[in-house]
Amino acid sequence: MRKVVIIALAVVVIGLIWFHKPVFSYIDARFLGATVSSPNEIVIWHPWGGTQKELFEKVVKEFERTHPDIKVKIVFTPNDLSNNQKFFSSVAAGKPPDVTFVDGPQVSEWAEQGALQPLDKEVAATGIKPGDYFTPCWKQNYYDGHVWAVTYCADPNFAFAWNKKTFRDAGLDPNKPPKTIAEMDKLAEKLTKSGSRGLTSIGIIPWGQFGNANSMYTWGWAFGGSFYDEKTHKVTANDPKNVKALEWMCSYAQKYGLTNISNLAQGFGNLDRNPFYIGQLGMGCFHISQVVDARTYAPKLDYGLGYIPSPQGGEKHSSWIGGWCMALPRGCKKPELAWKFIKWMCADVKGTAVAGKTQDLFPGYRKSTYFDEIKSDQRYGPFVEILNQCKHQRPVMPAQAYYMGALDRAVGQAVYGKMTPKAALDQATKETQRELDLRLAGK
Amino acid sequence: MTKKQRLTHKKVSHARRADLRNGLLFSSPVIIGLLLFTVYPVGASLYYSFCNYTGLKPPTWVGMANYHRLLTDPLVTKSLANTAVFAAFSVPLGVAVAFWLALLLNQKVRGMALFRTLFYLPSIVPTVATSVLWLWVLNPQYGILPGILRGIGVYSLFHMFGIPEPGWMADPMWAKPALILMSLWGAGGSMIIFLAGLQDVPQDLFDAAEVDGATTLHRTIHITLPFMSPYIFFSIVMGLIGAAQYFTQAYVMTGGQGGPVNSTLFYAMYLFQNAFHFFKMGYACAMAWFLFLVILAATIIVFKSSARFVYYQGDAK
Repeated sequence: MRKVVIIALAVVVIGLIWFHKPVFSYIDARFLGATVSSPNEIVIWHPWGGTQKELFEKVVKEFERTHPDIKVKIVFTPNDLSNNQKFFSSVAAGKPPDVTFVDGPQVSEWAEQGALQPLDKEVAATGIKPGDYFTPCWKQNYYDGHVWAVTYCADPNFAFAWNKKTFRDAGLDPNKPPKTIAEMDKLAEKLTKSGSRGLTSIGIIPWGQFGNANSMYTWGWAFGGSFYDEKTHKVTANDPKNVKALEWMCSYAQKYGLTNISNLAQGFGNLDRNPFYIGQLGMGCFHISQVVDARTYAPKLDYGLGYIPSPQGGEKHSSWIGGWCMALPRGCKKPELAWKFIKWMCADVKGTAVAGKTQDLFPGYRKSTYFDEIKSDQRYGPFVEILNQCKHQRPVMPAQAYYMGALDRAVGQAVYGKMTPKAALDQATKETQRELDLRLAGK
Repeated sequence: MTKKQRLTHKKVSHARRADLRNGLLFSSPVIIGLLLFTVYPVGASLYYSFCNYTGLKPPTWVGMANYHRLLTDPLVTKSLANTAVFAAFSVPLGVAVAFWLALLLNQKVRGMALFRTLFYLPSIVPTVATSVLWLWVLNPQYGILPGILRGIGVYSLFHMFGIPEPGWMADPMWAKPALILMSLWGAGGSMIIFLAGLQDVPQDLFDAAEVDGATTLHRTIHITLPFMSPYIFFSIVMGLIGAAQYFTQAYVMTGGQGGPVNSTLFYAMYLFQNAFHFFKMGYACAMAWFLFLVILAATIIVFKSSARFVYYQGDAK
């Protein structure tokens, strides 16, 4: 009896080892919903959660309708700096999706890592030209002599928003937004109020524009600074104009008291308690997605949108590009079908219009008919103008995530007065340069 | 050895060998699992710690470079210091609070089961939920904790001495104390262990001491504490290990940044950043091995010193 059991067990174990492939793929498909698919099905990993997910599904449905020979399976995979392990593991394991979304500034880094495959052949065959895309979009996806991704959405970062009601309440002219930094400082003074427990409202928090690092990029460029020299591979975070920008940012911490501002900011809510809607923040940078948010959560909000103020001698109408791109992962199994999907979503007059309209985003594809529809829209119009003039993209280099981290720390150190702006940016430059050199030396 | 003896010997060893084979066969899932999912990754991480490795590209050998960088990286020093400060306060405080709670909950009072449940409850709330909750508890303007401190006049004392009101998680000076305070929220885990230990303290010793005129304080120090020392020791070791790996709360409450100005950048968090934000897998592996050595050293010190203060029942010493 014992022998029979042992032999039976052994047979099962050996059988499992021998047939592990079909067994695992059955388990994968049946229970884990993995990428075992029929020959005309492609798998897309996308970063859209919540309501955006439903809207993206609509776009994909439209693609399936117009491409009856291709079936699309979409999988939500949170995909930011700290959450891309799933994608990297899948590439390392040789089981990537057919199409992945990649955040614009990460394209060069992912390319350098070997997580993506070049799209030169596909781009040439489709007849896509650099001029078809907004310049920074194209630049962002072009690294080391190859095209690695195509822009799905181009976020013009940022529009400058001011709450007209807050302006009126403070006795200011709601139709006169600041054009220069000096004007903004003056308005900010009038918009900042305090009560018994500290500040109750503030004009603007310079370092609060979507995180320290993005704030640094925004004001650095507005002050006329630069962050990277692509030709010499030199990090230039400590560009004197960036230092000026950071000094100006820190002036708010000194003027209004850092603790006061932090305490106020800790109490900021979201959704319909967004500090901008309820007058706690008078002015700030506006991301394109906030237009829909404002429509949803504060339909009566009276606000204006325009260009970001810049100082004398800075860059007028400064902005930079953000947004998601699509790429083929290294080792993707159905590149032809996958490219058809990318082409329709990112490089097709109609496809991009569907995507733009449905998801309320701007395609990176200049020729999209969506722009004709919205360029005179009260809210989107200013964003279209900004996008058309947009000059910058975050440095196209394989240590971009590290750079963002270094800038984040530098701004923190300076704002909290632990280091001078110059010293903080010097350190960020030095550290990022070392990291970059290490990555470039690995080639 | 006679022939017969040799035969039995052979027979036994044959049966034994069969047992061994069957035993190994039955435990093979665990053995294979351990080799595959623990021994191999541990070994691989040691190898990668000597490499420049980003995850997808093949690793390149760089010798001691990662370890050398480790010693000169100001953020390693900063994060180690943060972790040490956190451990130095949260571990003893946690043990003290848990012990005190256990003593209180060991009284014979009506409704004790309810109290025990209530005090244990916070430690079963998921860490992420607790962290988000505490962001609100600590909110400098509307939070309940600042509200209480303001209400009982602690903040007035602050004003008297010219200390600005704490910004808690918004303030580099107060962020760590805030997290230490928050760690006490989870004292229920140790409390349960202490409570179980308290049942083992012999009642006759208390009775004898009472006859001899010992006060409650004396009884606690001279009877309860010695009997409880193995439990306290266990809590300290586990607390040290837990503090060295402190991650989730700080990660959730600071959005993964360890701010403000690196005041809550704990070692495990910086390690995570290096591995998964910056793709410096080799460096992160080196950091992990360094942490292992630090925990090992700390544990050895605690164990060596334990003979002085830990009393095991029935021990000859």
